[in-house]
Amino acid sequence: MHISEGVLSAPVLVTGAALTLAGVAVGLKKMDYEKIPQVAVLTSAFFVASLIRVPVGPSAVHLVLNGLLGIILGWAAFPAILVGVALQGLLFQFGGLTTLGVNTFIMAMPAILCHYLFGRGIAYKHSGVAMVLAFACGFFAVLLSSLLLALCLIFTGESFLQAAKVLVLAHLPVMVLEGVVVAFCLAFLMKVKPELLGATHATG
Amino acid sequence: MLLDRKPLLSWGATLTVLALGIVVALSMVSQVWAHKVNVFAWVEGDTVFVEGYFPGGKKSQDSLVEVFNPAGTKLLEGRTNEKGEFSFKIPERTDLKIVLTSSMGHKNDFIVPASDFGGVESSPSIPAQSFAESAKHSSAHPSDLSQLEGMIDRALDRKLAPVIKLIRDTRKEGPTISEIVGGIGYIFGLFGLVMYLKSRKNRERGQRSEVRGQQNIAKQ
Repeated sequence: MHISEGVLSAPVLVTGAALTLAGVAVGLKKMDYEKIPQVAVLTSAFFVASLIRVPVGPSAVHLVLNGLLGIILGWAAFPAILVGVALQGLLFQFGGLTTLGVNTFIMAMPAILCHYLFGRGIAYKHSGVAMVLAFACGFFAVLLSSLLLALCLIFTGESFLQAAKVLVLAHLPVMVLEGVVVAFCLAFLMKVKPELLGATHATG
Repeated sequence: MLLDRKPLLSWGATLTVLALGIVVALSMVSQVWAHKVNVFAWVEGDTVFVEGYFPGGKKSQDSLVEVFNPAGTKLLEGRTNEKGEFSFKIPERTDLKIVLTSSMGHKNDFIVPASDFGGVESSPSIPAQSFAESAKHSSAHPSDLSQLEGMIDRALDRKLAPVIKLIRDTRKEGPTISEIVGGIGYIFGLFGLVMYLKSRKNRERGQRSEVRGQQNIAKQ
């Protein structure tokens, strides 16, 4: 999910950076004082998730967990993912400094979309439906990220359909795994801290 | 807002358990790392070998390899095989920049300095001279000398192969534990700072409204 330096052209990089800046601004504004520890813990989870490789296909793919961040944090997922991606770039050399904006947007935008698509349902429906929705949330967040990534690669000369096919196929196991992870995490949270899921809708 | 504040510790504790659970459970799935592509290239005789791989050692198969000279002219291109390897004959005795483009927006490069190509062609004048001298003292033929050189090169390649393999393997290691823990430390430090700043802002606002309240009381 991390685009390397020197792959994308300047207009794509600038657009990505601008969109990320806007998202982070909204996220910081919506981030309450009480929510900061939550954001910190989920940022750490996101940061290490990229080290968990799913061995498949001709390339290397890893867990993203952006669905989980979106559902719990809402807009605060933007600053969380920005910090995570920045540190992954600095410490693991994933992605790079110039692609920071694009990479953050690719992972954070689907998180926000999933928050609005599935958030309400997961918080209020009975547990069976909620589990299915949670799985869908994890699944779609990665799917949307793959499609966004394919969209960015169009400008490098790769055709969208070809890039999208490769990306979606490679990330299929990740989508399923993330769906399961999000479902289990939310099932756990609903038992232990149901207000964590409800609280996000009151604020964001 | 202050009244309905929840105990932060139990939230934090719950989420820590959650985060640790995710990490432990999933590190069992696979203990190797991802997610950038690496390139390594070495010279054997007159051939340059290129290897593309991801951290953890998974090969970068069917990836585009392009070779550039220092002027930026593309000399040749090719694709890695199922072992993530590609090889080519040295096209030009200059520094070679090898750029590997994998799928999904991964890209990296590696520079083979001209000095790696050894003395096959870059130092013909010196052996020629020494040959001229040695020819006076012995009955060596030019063909013998180049044969000898070839033999030495081959022997060296064979002897150095394990060393090169060792270098390749060390380069494949993923992030270290200290980097991972350090990163988590940075995250907590950063958010701690954000909390501190926000709490100070809240306190200032609180004080200001308190002052205003006192002023209102004084007016009345």
